[in-house]
Amino acid sequence: MKILVPVKRVVDYNVKVRVKSDGTGVETAGVKMSMNPFDEIAVEEAVRLKEKGVATEIVAVSMGVAASAETIRTALAMGADRGILVETDVDLQPLAVAKLLKAIVAKEAPNLIIMGKQAIDDDMSATGQMLAALLGWPQGTFASKVAIEGDGVTVVREVDGGLETVALTLPAIVTTDLRLNEPRYASLPNIMKARKKPIETLKPADLGVDPAPRLTVLTVAEPPKRQAGVKVGSVAELVAKLKTEAKVI
Amino acid sequence: MMFELSEEHRMLKDLVAKFVDRELMPLEPAVLAREAQGQKVGLTDEEEARLHARCKELGLWGLDVPAELGGANLPVVALMGMNEELGRTPVPFYFPPDSPNLHMLMAAANPEQRRLYLDPYARGEAKSAIAISEPGAGGDPAAMITRAVKDGGDWVINGRKIWISRVPYADFTIVMARTGEGKRHEGITAFIVEKGTPGFHIEREIPMLGGQRTYEVLLEDCRVPEAQMLGRLGQGFAPMQLRLTIRRLQMGAWCTGMAVRALDMLCSHARQRSTFGVRLADRQAVQWWIAEAATKIHACRLMVLDAAAKQDAGQDVRTEASMVKVFATEMAQDVIDHAMQAYGAMGMTKELPLQLMMQKVRTMRVYEGPSEVHRMVIARRVLDSRR
Ligand SMILES: Cc1cc2nc3c(=O)[nH]c(=O)nc-3n(C[C@H](O)[C@H](O)[C@H](O)COP(=O)(O)OP(=O)(O)OC[C@H]3O[C@@H](n4cnc5c(N)ncnc54)[C@H](O)[C@@H]3O)c2cc1C
Repeated sequence: MKILVPVKRVVDYNVKVRVKSDGTGVETAGVKMSMNPFDEIAVEEAVRLKEKGVATEIVAVSMGVAASAETIRTALAMGADRGILVETDVDLQPLAVAKLLKAIVAKEAPNLIIMGKQAIDDDMSATGQMLAALLGWPQGTFASKVAIEGDGVTVVREVDGGLETVALTLPAIVTTDLRLNEPRYASLPNIMKARKKPIETLKPADLGVDPAPRLTVLTVAEPPKRQAGVKVGSVAELVAKLKTEAKVI
Repeated sequence: MMFELSEEHRMLKDLVAKFVDRELMPLEPAVLAREAQGQKVGLTDEEEARLHARCKELGLWGLDVPAELGGANLPVVALMGMNEELGRTPVPFYFPPDSPNLHMLMAAANPEQRRLYLDPYARGEAKSAIAISEPGAGGDPAAMITRAVKDGGDWVINGRKIWISRVPYADFTIVMARTGEGKRHEGITAFIVEKGTPGFHIEREIPMLGGQRTYEVLLEDCRVPEAQMLGRLGQGFAPMQLRLTIRRLQMGAWCTGMAVRALDMLCSHARQRSTFGVRLADRQAVQWWIAEAATKIHACRLMVLDAAAKQDAGQDVRTEASMVKVFATEMAQDVIDHAMQAYGAMGMTKELPLQLMMQKVRTMRVYEGPSEVHRMVIARRVLDSRR
């Protein structure tokens, strides 16, 4: 079984994100970038399936600026076998990524795609669902458990109010939630081995996809500053304030 | 030209960063508590065994050991990024084997000594110490008077060494002694003295700042076979210098990491502490500490990388290593001091790692050569290079 794992280069989760002074986006110059944490979980799940002998090959794909190759290299160091970089300076939106992935699926014919439920930069949570729609494949989103059985995959989903279990027929798409696994860190020998694993570089045009944005970003702004809190003297005062000032009860 | 680690070396640095966050940071409170109780600052055997097992799993072992001895054969540049991460916590830990003696043995050991001492050391199975300093010769080691005299097939060593780290746990100690009539650097020879050799007495343990311990050693008719002379007769100073250079660069990286931690703590406190109705982060006095810290950390990191890259290219970096040693230790001390000041009384407690880092960095301004001696050496080289 071949697994495709898309991985995105995002601002590291430890970095405090700052809005660019001209309001066109967030500052990435001189900022530490890392693999989207949900994608790390996706790579980990794929590697575990390979270690169990269920998967035979893991292909990591990233899209974006040339430096995204580094994110692929991290996936290779964690245990993916080879990488594909779709290189473009265009600001990629979920639909463009889904279309590019569809073209890569046509080329690679994977049996399973495991990807993050969302990227921590814009929190769209859309690409997996769009890709499923474009491919006409079943999807198991927000997975906290994944089990391959025969030609199907059972996915336990984290939904509001509890867990939902769905059975999908392969090929299928799984998007990962936080509790699916705890990603390993790439060991030193595997970091060294990653150097020798191949990364193929393509352009969107090679895949016949126009990645131009379909949504226009008008402005990006910092969230409004939180007002200073107040101390209340008693429960009665708290309840009164919640009723009259906050008007929430 | 980009002054930064390569992609692969950044990944290695990230690996160590995760190791520090997940494996070492959780041990910090216990280490701080041990120091607060006046104990030796160290890890228990159980803690160390667990960390070593984890290091083996992650391949964080034998980092600068050559491939033919089973190591990762990483260049010094890669080690600098990794050591910077280790510097972020005062939990005392290094990835076996400790680099300086490794490099001294690689430079000087003959095939038989390689088999007996270098191989087990490179595998991380043997521990070692180095005895250079004497009561009358520290910053100026060429003034040493410990003497080794040939007697048949043996060398007989007499003298007194002091401030020696790790010696009770060391399977062998490299002892520097005078063998010839030469003045100063000439006629100094290195000997490998195995643990338990008759005449090698550990006289006392000396508690030092930061929960560190050093030892005073008396060599009294300490007899070692000729085969344990390390390197060439009377030529021990050069491999010893190489060893010191490696440590000085490593200290530069540790200091960078310590300062990064202190700056992180300074910033987080300055943002949340208000006095007189204004956040510390909005006070110019504190902002200047922050700006200066960030600038000096940047400078220090570049100095360390520059010296490491030159060392990898086979250049003589003794001057650069001296500059790094002076700048890094004084830089880290200033940054930690400002962080402690910003924390006020909390900065004076033994609950924060700052004071332990401060004590450590204070000793670092003395060991591996006091700052003043390095400045003297740098100035001499600068003066000598002018017509
Ligand atoms: C924690 C720790 C661990 C150590 N571990 C070891 C070890 O494992 N093995 C080992 O051999 N040694 C070890 N040492 C010893 C260390 O290397 C020496 O202490 C150091 O070299 C200084 O020597 P000294 O103490 O004799 O000081 P001195 O040489 O007496 O110098 C004292 C002071 O005089 C001033 N001074 C000296 N020379 C000059 C000059 N030329 N110009 C201006 N001022 C000068 C400096 O301010 C200096 O600090 C350790 C020391 C410490 C603190």
